[in-house]
Amino acid sequence: MRAAMTEMVSALSFLPGVAAAMVVGADDGLIVEASAPRSGQAAAADQRRHTAALAAYLYGKVGRASNMARLGIPAFMRLEAEGGQVCIVGSREVVLVAILDRDANLGRVRLEMMQAAQSR
Amino acid sequence: MMVNPTVTEPWLDAPLRRLIGDARLISGVFLLPSGRALGQFGFRDAGEVMSVCALVSAINASAQELGRQLDGKPFYEMHHPGVDRQVFMARAFVGPQEYLFVGVFDNDSSLGLVEMYFAEFQQSLGNIVPQAQAAAPGPSGDFEGELNRSLDALFGPLR
Repeated sequence: MRAAMTEMVSALSFLPGVAAAMVVGADDGLIVEASAPRSGQAAAADQRRHTAALAAYLYGKVGRASNMARLGIPAFMRLEAEGGQVCIVGSREVVLVAILDRDANLGRVRLEMMQAAQSR
Repeated sequence: MMVNPTVTEPWLDAPLRRLIGDARLISGVFLLPSGRALGQFGFRDAGEVMSVCALVSAINASAQELGRQLDGKPFYEMHHPGVDRQVFMARAFVGPQEYLFVGVFDNDSSLGLVEMYFAEFQQSLGNIVPQAQAAAPGPSGDFEGELNRSLDALFGPLR
Protein backbone atom coordinates (compact mmCIF):
# COMPACT_ATOMS: atom_id res chain seq x y z
CA MET A 1 0.00 0.00 0.00
CA ARG A 2 2.86 2.35 0.89
CA ALA A 3 4.54 1.56 -2.43
CA ALA A 4 1.34 2.39 -4.29
CA MET A 5 1.12 5.76 -2.55
CA THR A 6 4.75 6.54 -3.29
CA GLU A 7 4.11 5.72 -6.91
CA MET A 8 0.96 7.87 -6.90
CA VAL A 9 2.66 11.04 -5.59
CA SER A 10 5.69 10.43 -7.76
CA ALA A 11 3.57 10.13 -10.92
CA LEU A 12 1.61 13.27 -10.02
CA SER A 13 4.67 15.31 -9.17
CA PHE A 14 6.18 14.65 -12.61
CA LEU A 15 3.21 16.21 -14.39
CA PRO A 16 3.98 19.65 -15.83
CA GLY A 17 3.21 22.46 -13.40
CA VAL A 18 2.78 20.26 -10.30
CA ALA A 19 4.86 21.84 -7.52
CA ALA A 20 4.08 19.18 -4.93
CA ALA A 21 1.88 16.14 -4.45
CA MET A 22 0.94 14.58 -1.13
CA VAL A 23 -1.17 11.82 0.33
CA VAL A 24 -2.64 13.12 3.59
CA GLY A 25 -4.64 11.47 6.36
CA ALA A 26 -8.24 12.65 5.98
CA ASP A 27 -8.92 12.69 9.72
CA ASP A 28 -5.61 13.81 11.19
CA GLY A 29 -4.28 16.01 8.37
CA LEU A 30 -0.83 14.44 8.63
CA ILE A 31 1.29 13.68 5.58
CA VAL A 32 1.44 10.00 4.68
CA GLU A 33 3.54 10.39 1.56
CA ALA A 34 4.92 13.45 -0.23
CA SER A 35 6.85 14.11 -3.40
CA ALA A 36 10.46 15.24 -3.14
CA PRO A 37 10.79 19.01 -2.76
CA ARG A 38 11.97 20.98 -5.74
CA SER A 39 15.59 22.08 -5.58
CA GLY A 40 16.14 25.30 -3.59
CA GLN A 41 13.07 24.82 -1.37
CA ALA A 42 14.69 24.36 2.02
CA ALA A 43 11.69 25.68 3.98
CA ALA A 44 9.27 23.49 2.03
CA ALA A 45 8.75 20.84 4.73
CA ASP A 46 6.89 23.14 7.12
CA GLN A 47 4.85 24.70 4.33
CA ARG A 48 3.81 21.27 3.12
CA ARG A 49 2.81 20.12 6.57
CA HIS A 50 0.69 23.23 6.96
CA THR A 51 -0.84 22.87 3.51
CA ALA A 52 -1.58 19.22 4.18
CA ALA A 53 -3.30 19.93 7.50
CA LEU A 54 -5.37 22.79 6.09
CA ALA A 55 -6.25 20.97 2.86
CA ALA A 56 -7.53 17.91 4.74
CA TYR A 57 -9.51 20.15 7.09
CA LEU A 58 -10.97 22.10 4.18
CA TYR A 59 -11.91 18.93 2.36
CA GLY A 60 -13.67 17.68 5.46
CA LYS A 61 -15.66 20.91 5.73
CA VAL A 62 -16.56 20.89 2.05
CA GLY A 63 -17.67 17.29 2.46
CA ARG A 64 -20.01 18.34 5.24
CA ALA A 65 -21.42 21.16 3.14
CA SER A 66 -21.86 18.81 0.21
CA ASN A 67 -23.67 16.31 2.40
CA MET A 68 -25.91 18.99 3.84
CA ALA A 69 -26.83 19.98 0.29
CA ARG A 70 -27.55 16.32 -0.40
CA LEU A 71 -24.91 16.19 -3.08
CA GLY A 72 -22.89 13.35 -1.60
CA ILE A 73 -19.13 13.11 -1.33
CA PRO A 74 -17.16 15.82 -3.17
CA ALA A 75 -15.46 14.34 -6.22
CA PHE A 76 -12.84 16.99 -6.85
CA MET A 77 -11.96 20.23 -5.12
CA ARG A 78 -9.96 23.06 -6.62
CA LEU A 79 -8.83 26.20 -4.85
CA GLU A 80 -7.64 28.91 -7.20
CA ALA A 81 -5.20 31.47 -5.79
CA GLU A 82 -3.06 34.28 -7.22
CA GLY A 83 0.02 32.14 -7.67
CA GLY A 84 -1.52 28.78 -8.55
CA GLN A 85 -4.00 26.19 -7.42
CA VAL A 86 -4.52 23.53 -4.81
CA CYS A 87 -6.38 20.42 -5.91
CA ILE A 88 -7.82 17.87 -3.50
CA VAL A 89 -9.41 14.50 -4.11
CA GLY A 90 -10.66 12.22 -1.36
CA SER A 91 -10.06 8.49 -1.35
CA ARG A 92 -11.47 6.74 1.71
CA GLU A 93 -9.20 7.47 4.70
CA VAL A 94 -6.79 9.72 2.78
CA VAL A 95 -6.94 12.79 0.58
CA LEU A 96 -4.70 13.39 -2.38
CA VAL A 97 -3.39 16.97 -2.50
CA ALA A 98 -1.59 18.62 -5.40
CA ILE A 99 -0.16 22.12 -5.45
CA LEU A 100 -0.04 23.51 -8.97
CA ASP A 101 1.75 26.40 -10.59
CA ARG A 102 -0.32 28.90 -12.52
CA ASP A 103 0.54 27.33 -15.86
CA ALA A 104 -0.21 23.72 -14.90
CA ASN A 105 -2.34 21.52 -17.14
CA LEU A 106 -5.36 21.30 -14.84
CA GLY A 107 -7.27 18.86 -17.05
CA ARG A 108 -4.51 16.32 -16.97
CA VAL A 109 -3.84 16.76 -13.26
CA ARG A 110 -7.53 16.33 -12.50
CA LEU A 111 -7.74 13.16 -14.58
CA GLU A 112 -4.65 11.67 -12.96
CA MET A 113 -5.87 12.52 -9.47
CA MET A 114 -9.33 11.06 -10.07
CA GLN A 115 -7.85 7.87 -11.52
CA ALA A 116 -5.40 7.58 -8.63
CA ALA A 117 -8.20 8.00 -6.10
CA GLN A 118 -10.40 5.42 -7.82
CA SER A 119 -7.59 2.89 -8.14
CA ARG A 120 -7.01 2.77 -4.37
CA MET B 1 -18.36 28.78 19.46
CA MET B 2 -15.00 29.78 20.92
CA VAL B 3 -14.38 29.29 24.64
CA ASN B 4 -12.79 32.21 26.47
CA PRO B 5 -9.64 31.55 28.45
CA THR B 6 -8.88 32.81 31.95
CA VAL B 7 -5.22 33.49 32.64
CA THR B 8 -3.07 34.52 35.58
CA GLU B 9 -0.45 36.14 33.31
CA PRO B 10 -1.57 38.85 30.86
CA TRP B 11 1.09 37.93 28.26
CA LEU B 12 -0.60 34.56 27.79
CA ASP B 13 -4.05 35.88 26.93
CA ALA B 14 -3.68 36.87 23.28
CA PRO B 15 -1.58 33.88 22.08
CA LEU B 16 -3.84 31.45 23.93
CA ARG B 17 -6.99 32.99 22.45
CA ARG B 18 -5.50 32.69 18.98
CA LEU B 19 -4.54 29.06 19.55
CA ILE B 20 -8.00 28.16 20.84
CA GLY B 21 -9.74 29.81 17.90
CA ASP B 22 -7.40 28.62 15.15
CA ALA B 23 -7.01 25.04 16.35
CA ARG B 24 -10.68 24.85 17.41
CA LEU B 25 -9.85 23.51 20.85
CA ILE B 26 -12.60 22.59 23.30
CA SER B 27 -10.69 22.79 26.56
CA GLY B 28 -7.15 22.98 27.81
CA VAL B 29 -4.66 24.16 30.41
CA PHE B 30 -1.34 25.97 30.19
CA LEU B 31 0.80 25.21 33.20
CA LEU B 32 4.23 24.95 34.73
CA PRO B 33 5.74 21.44 34.92
CA SER B 34 5.21 21.69 38.69
CA GLY B 35 1.45 21.74 38.11
CA ARG B 36 0.76 25.42 38.64
CA ALA B 37 -1.87 26.57 36.11
CA LEU B 38 -1.33 29.85 34.27
CA GLY B 39 -4.29 29.63 31.96
CA GLN B 40 -7.32 27.47 31.32
CA PHE B 41 -10.30 27.34 29.03
CA GLY B 42 -13.37 25.12 28.75
CA PHE B 43 -13.42 23.99 32.39
CA ARG B 44 -16.23 24.84 34.76
CA ASP B 45 -14.52 24.74 38.13
CA ALA B 46 -11.20 24.67 39.92
CA GLY B 47 -11.53 21.01 40.83
CA GLU B 48 -11.45 19.94 37.18
CA VAL B 49 -8.39 22.08 36.47
CA MET B 50 -6.68 20.78 39.60
CA SER B 51 -7.11 17.19 38.41
CA VAL B 52 -5.89 18.03 34.91
CA CYS B 53 -2.82 19.87 36.25
CA ALA B 54 -1.85 17.00 38.53
CA LEU B 55 -2.34 14.45 35.74
CA VAL B 56 -0.49 16.46 33.09
CA SER B 57 2.38 17.08 35.46
CA ALA B 58 2.64 13.37 36.22
CA ILE B 59 2.19 12.32 32.58
CA ASN B 60 4.93 14.73 31.53
CA ALA B 61 7.35 13.36 34.10
CA SER B 62 6.51 9.77 33.15
CA ALA B 63 6.74 10.45 29.41
CA GLN B 64 10.13 12.09 29.79
CA GLU B 65 11.46 9.13 31.74
CA LEU B 66 9.86 6.61 29.37
CA GLY B 67 11.49 8.39 26.43
CA ARG B 68 14.86 8.32 28.14
CA GLN B 69 14.58 4.60 28.74
CA LEU B 70 13.19 3.64 25.33
CA ASP B 71 14.78 6.16 23.03
CA GLY B 72 17.66 7.70 24.97
CA LYS B 73 15.90 11.08 25.04
CA PRO B 74 12.70 12.37 26.68
CA PHE B 75 9.33 12.32 24.93
CA TYR B 76 7.91 15.82 24.89
CA GLU B 77 4.78 15.57 22.79
CA MET B 78 1.80 13.29 23.23
CA HIS B 79 -1.36 12.67 21.27
CA HIS B 80 -4.12 10.39 22.43
CA PRO B 81 -7.10 9.87 20.11
CA GLY B 82 -10.32 8.85 21.82
CA VAL B 83 -13.59 7.89 20.20
CA ASP B 84 -15.04 11.42 20.08
CA ARG B 85 -12.31 13.57 21.53
CA GLN B 86 -8.53 13.72 21.30
CA VAL B 87 -5.87 15.00 23.67
CA PHE B 88 -2.74 16.83 22.61
CA MET B 89 0.05 17.54 25.08
CA ALA B 90 3.26 19.41 24.41
CA ARG B 91 5.68 21.86 25.95
CA ALA B 92 6.50 25.46 25.17
CA PHE B 93 9.23 27.81 26.29
CA VAL B 94 9.14 31.40 27.39
CA GLY B 95 12.81 32.22 27.61
CA PRO B 96 14.44 29.43 29.62
CA GLN B 97 11.21 28.59 31.47
CA GLU B 98 9.45 25.42 30.36
CA TYR B 99 5.66 25.26 30.30
CA LEU B 100 3.26 22.47 29.48
CA PHE B 101 0.10 22.64 27.45
CA VAL B 102 -2.74 20.18 27.18
CA GLY B 103 -5.61 20.70 24.77
CA VAL B 104 -8.70 18.73 23.87
CA PHE B 105 -10.25 18.75 20.42
CA ASP B 106 -12.84 16.76 18.48
CA ASN B 107 -13.61 16.02 14.85
CA ASP B 108 -14.05 19.71 14.17
CA SER B 109 -10.25 19.92 14.20
CA SER B 110 -7.38 17.52 13.51
CA LEU B 111 -3.98 16.63 14.91
CA GLY B 112 -2.30 18.26 11.93
CA LEU B 113 -4.13 21.52 12.57
CA VAL B 114 -3.44 21.47 16.30
CA GLU B 115 0.26 20.76 15.75
CA MET B 116 0.49 23.53 13.19
CA TYR B 117 -1.18 26.19 15.32
CA PHE B 118 0.65 25.04 18.44
CA ALA B 119 3.94 25.69 16.61
CA GLU B 120 2.69 29.24 15.92
CA PHE B 121 1.71 29.56 19.59
CA GLN B 122 5.22 28.50 20.63
CA GLN B 123 6.69 31.12 18.30
CA SER B 124 4.45 33.87 19.62
CA LEU B 125 5.44 33.03 23.20
CA GLY B 126 9.07 33.21 22.15
CA ASN B 127 8.49 36.81 21.08
CA ILE B 128 7.31 37.98 24.50
CA VAL B 129 10.14 36.65 26.61
CA PRO B 130 11.39 39.57 28.74
CA GLN B 131 8.16 40.70 30.38
CA ALA B 132 6.93 37.15 30.78
CA GLN B 133 9.87 36.02 32.84
CA ALA B 134 9.41 38.72 35.43
CA ALA B 135 5.74 37.89 35.81
CA ALA B 136 6.04 34.11 36.11
CA PRO B 137 8.40 33.02 38.87
CA GLY B 138 9.59 29.42 38.90
CA PRO B 139 8.24 26.71 41.21
CA SER B 140 8.89 27.12 44.92
CA GLY B 141 8.60 23.44 45.80
CA ASP B 142 5.24 23.96 47.48
CA PHE B 143 3.24 22.00 44.91
CA GLU B 144 -0.13 22.13 46.65
CA GLY B 145 0.18 25.77 47.67
CA GLU B 146 1.17 26.85 44.15
CA LEU B 147 -1.65 24.85 42.60
CA ASN B 148 -4.22 26.34 44.97
CA ARG B 149 -2.98 29.89 44.44
CA SER B 150 -3.11 29.53 40.66
CA LEU B 151 -6.62 28.04 40.83
CA ASP B 152 -7.74 30.92 43.06
CA ALA B 153 -6.41 33.32 40.45
CA LEU B 154 -8.27 31.53 37.64
CA PHE B 155 -11.60 30.83 39.33
CA GLY B 156 -11.63 33.03 42.43
CA PRO B 157 -11.08 31.80 46.00
CA LEU B 158 -13.09 28.79 47.16
CA ARG B 159 -15.82 29.66 49.63
